[in-house]
Parts: sequence; C-alpha cells; structure tokens
Amino acid sequence: MSEVAPVGLIAAFMEISRVTLRQLLGRRRTLLLILLSALPVLLAVAFRAAGETEVERFTRRIFDTITMTILMPLVAILFGSGAFGAEIDDGTVVYLLAKPVPRWIVIAAKAITALAMAILLTGSSTVLAGIIDMAPAGSDGVSATMAQLLAVVVGSACYVSLFLAVSLFTRRALVLGIGYMLVWEGALSFMLPGIANLSIRQYALGASTAVYKLPLQEVRLSAETALLLAGVLVVSALVLATWKLMRFELPGGSD
Amino acid sequence: MTAQVDPEVNGLQVRSEVAPAIELVHAARWYGNVVAVNDVSFSLGAGVTGLLGPNGAGKTTLLHMLAGFLAPSAGSVHILGRSPHRDPSVYRQIGLVPEREAVYPFLTGRDYVKFNARLQGLRDPDGAARAAIARVGLEDSMDRQIGTYSKGMRQRVKVAGSLVHDPQVLLLDEPFNGMDPRQRIAMMDLLGVLADEGRTILFSSHILEEVERVGTEILVVVAGRLAASGDFRAIRALMTDRPHNISIRSSDDRRLATTLMADPAVFAVELTPAGLCVQTAQLGAFRRLIAGASRAAGVRLLEVTPADESLESVFDYLVRR
Repeated sequence: MSEVAPVGLIAAFMEISRVTLRQLLGRRRTLLLILLSALPVLLAVAFRAAGETEVERFTRRIFDTITMTILMPLVAILFGSGAFGAEIDDGTVVYLLAKPVPRWIVIAAKAITALAMAILLTGSSTVLAGIIDMAPAGSDGVSATMAQLLAVVVGSACYVSLFLAVSLFTRRALVLGIGYMLVWEGALSFMLPGIANLSIRQYALGASTAVYKLPLQEVRLSAETALLLAGVLVVSALVLATWKLMRFELPGGSD
Repeated sequence: MTAQVDPEVNGLQVRSEVAPAIELVHAARWYGNVVAVNDVSFSLGAGVTGLLGPNGAGKTTLLHMLAGFLAPSAGSVHILGRSPHRDPSVYRQIGLVPEREAVYPFLTGRDYVKFNARLQGLRDPDGAARAAIARVGLEDSMDRQIGTYSKGMRQRVKVAGSLVHDPQVLLLDEPFNGMDPRQRIAMMDLLGVLADEGRTILFSSHILEEVERVGTEILVVVAGRLAASGDFRAIRALMTDRPHNISIRSSDDRRLATTLMADPAVFAVELTPAGLCVQTAQLGAFRRLIAGASRAAGVRLLEVTPADESLESVFDYLVRR
C-alpha cells in the first residue's frame, strides 16, 4: 500500500469540491435552476427588442422582481442546503467524515463549491441580462450591471452559508429556506423597515451601493454596514457549521 | 484478545496480556430513557473478531462508538490508545465499512477508492486504489459507476475504500450483506489474510456461519450488554451450568453406556441408532474418564465428538438466557 503523507489541505479541499460539484450537478433540480436562470436573459432580450433599455426600468422589473426576489435566493438556498443534504440523508457523509481531514476544510470546500455554482448561474444570468438590456445606457449601464453582480455575490454568499449550516441541524433546511425567502424577505422586510439589519436582501442591495447606487428606494443600509453584516453572517454560519460537523453523530441503527 | 463471559452470566473470565488496539471500559450509550449500550468493557488486539447479537442488541451503536461517530454517555472508548470521538486524525488508523448500502452512485469504483486515498493523504492514490481494488477482486468493474453495481459489489468497493490506506484497525458493519456465496467466501478469506497481517478487525454479523468461518473470537451483545467475549469454544467450556453433549460411537454402545452411567460426572446417556449421546457438566473430568471407562468395559472407541461446541450453540445459549 502507499506511503502516507500529511493530508494536504488543498488536495483535500479539491477532492471534496470535485465530489460536491458532481453531487450538485447530478440533480434534476439543477437543470430546472439553469432554465430559471435563463429567464432574466430572455426578458432582457424582449425589453431590448421593445426599445426599453433604461437602467431604472431594467433594475426594477427584471433585477429586483426576478433576480433578487426569486432567482438568487432560490438558487443559493438549493445549493447551500444541498451541499450536504443528500449525503446526510443517504449516509454517504460517513465516507467523508471518516477521514483525517479538518472539519473546517470540509465546510469550506462544500460552501465555496455551492457558492461558485450559485454565482455561476445567477451571476452570469445577471451580467448577460444587464449587458443585453443596459448596454445602450453607456457607463451607467455597465456600473449598474456590476452593482447588480455584487449584490448577487453578497446575497448568494449569505444564503449558501446560512442554509448549509441549517442543513446540518435539520433535514428541512430547504423548506425553511424557501419559507424564509417568502415570508421574511418577501413580506416582512417590506412591511417592517426596522428589520433591515436582519435581511439578506438588504445586505446584498446595500453592498451594491459600493459600486453604483441602483435606482431602488428600498435600499436601507450603507455599503459598509451591509458588507459588515453580511461578513458577520457568513463567518458565523460557517463557524456554526464547522462546530456542528465536529459533533456530528450517526444514529445507532436498528441492531 | 481478552476472553471473558459477563460475570452476571457466568462469573467467569480469562484474560490475556496483549496490548489492546480497541478498548472499551464500562462504555454506555443511551438516548433519553433508552439504553442502547450498557456498561460494556472489552479489549481486542490483532486478529479478527465477530460481533454477534440479535437485531436491536446494540451492535451498530457499538461500532459507531468505536468509529468516533457516537460519544459514549458513560465510560471510555479507545482505539490505539486514543479516543476516536472528535479526533479526525485517528482515521489514519481506522478503516470503516458502514452498514448502509449507499455509496456515491455517480463515481466509478476506481474514483471512489481514489477519493478515499486522496483524503487519506496517500502519496500514490492511483497505485493504492488499484491495489485495494485488486484485494476485493473488482478490477473488471472498477471503471463502472457505482450506481450500476450489485449490492455485493457495493459492499466490496466499500471494503476497498476502507482498506486503501492500510489501516491498523478495521471496523465492518455487516460486511457480507448482499454478497453471493462465492463473494462471501472470498471476503471471509480476505479478512483472515488482513488479520494475519497484524490488523485488528471487528465485524458485525447476524449470520453465525460467517463468523464461524472467519474466526473463533466473538463478542456477543444481548440487549445492549456484552454477554460474552473470547473464543467461542472457550466460552462454551465455561458454561458449567449447562451440560455438555458428547456424541460417541464405539464397538458396543450399550455396554459403554452402562459403564458411563456409573460415573457421577455423567448426567445422562442416550442410546441412539447413531451411537451414544452423553451429557456431562465436567468436560475435563469426562475426557479423563472416557478412556478408562472404555477400557474397563472392554469396548473400543470409534469416535468421540463434542455435539454442541458450535458457535450456534453458544450464541443460542447466551441469547436465550
């Protein structure tokens, strides 16, 4: 048998990422997400064809209504909660955990892979739609597109981290995620402006103002505050996930 | 290996001085009010040991405690002198084959074993994977996706993954499940070879013939308690509250029966068409007696065979108590 070396953290990270990627890509729901991510692009094409190329109109009707309200949260929740979900359900997580690999590496590999996939889908959709519909707006259009991409990155990072951690505590992480998206972000944060400090949507939109002030009235946090709160959320969720994974227990079984 | 019987069962035990690779001291695990494992102590050195018990006895709980995936509620669990719980570095020395059948279905057998090799930090994951796959005889199927494997093949690739880093301790939960008879025999032989190489192997099984074929060392768990541990033939010899049955064929069974009945070491003698069936509580005394008794009776002994020293007999006795 082979000689044993200290487990290379980068090698372990890459191996776990590779398997996570194949797990996430192998799901039928990923195909649905790819189709969903094409929606903003198709609408941008339609807007452009209709001659509606203003930054404000695109931002309100496509970016805010579809990307930020449905696409970005849904993609990030599905990938975040799915990074571990299936392995815990079917028991294959044992093959990952019965290895001399620090648990934080496992969490980092899962989170970064899920985030990369989420950004690849939602981010590329956002950039492509922005270029198609806002290019005629010149530098404003480019800046608005970059700001929207930053919002997608920050929002995805928060959702992926939070629901990856939640998936280690409950098998209902996906249901909780969609509930959070619809109830907290979809309804309560609009009705109760005071909870802006507890809204991932507000973190994402606030962060985008570091690049460009998107024409949305509901942006309630400054870029600094939004990035700080988003950073605290991401780090806290990943630390919590690592803590939980270190204490992960298998059931005793029936015999 | 420590050989012992729960003192509350028989009050007898025999100990060896070999340094243990696996050691449980008064280990217990409970879930709320449900006690899954209760005050279990044993130690194992190199060799292969079968973990036996009826469904719900606590075998999987014990294996998960040993693998570091369940903390003991009381007592201690040590693998090679270290607590496996919350210490990932211990997995350099442990190979684990869980009972659950699922293995990443989208990976090929080769990729799965390489995945294990890479996460173990092996310098040559390809070579190690090939060697481990060869040990379980899966070379012809190693480039197929695991999702297309039969149950038995999945078991074998799980074993290959657990072996790839050459661990000192192997923990296998029902490793023969789903294997056809030929695969079972090959896997049993492999476990024997691995044990001969100096590893400590503990496997659970509910099929007594499997355990009996792989080795003689057993742990019997009943209702969360360790009912017995050690060589099952030694355990049988310690069961002094249960008469030993011995089958005898001789040149004159009836005359020999008359002579044997006169000895107080003999409880009962049954004359059957196949010969005599003798019951005795004192196996050692009977062994000394039989030669002299046959000479005294002028009878020639053709065969003397212990009739109930099988593992099944021992298991049946311990579980039914």
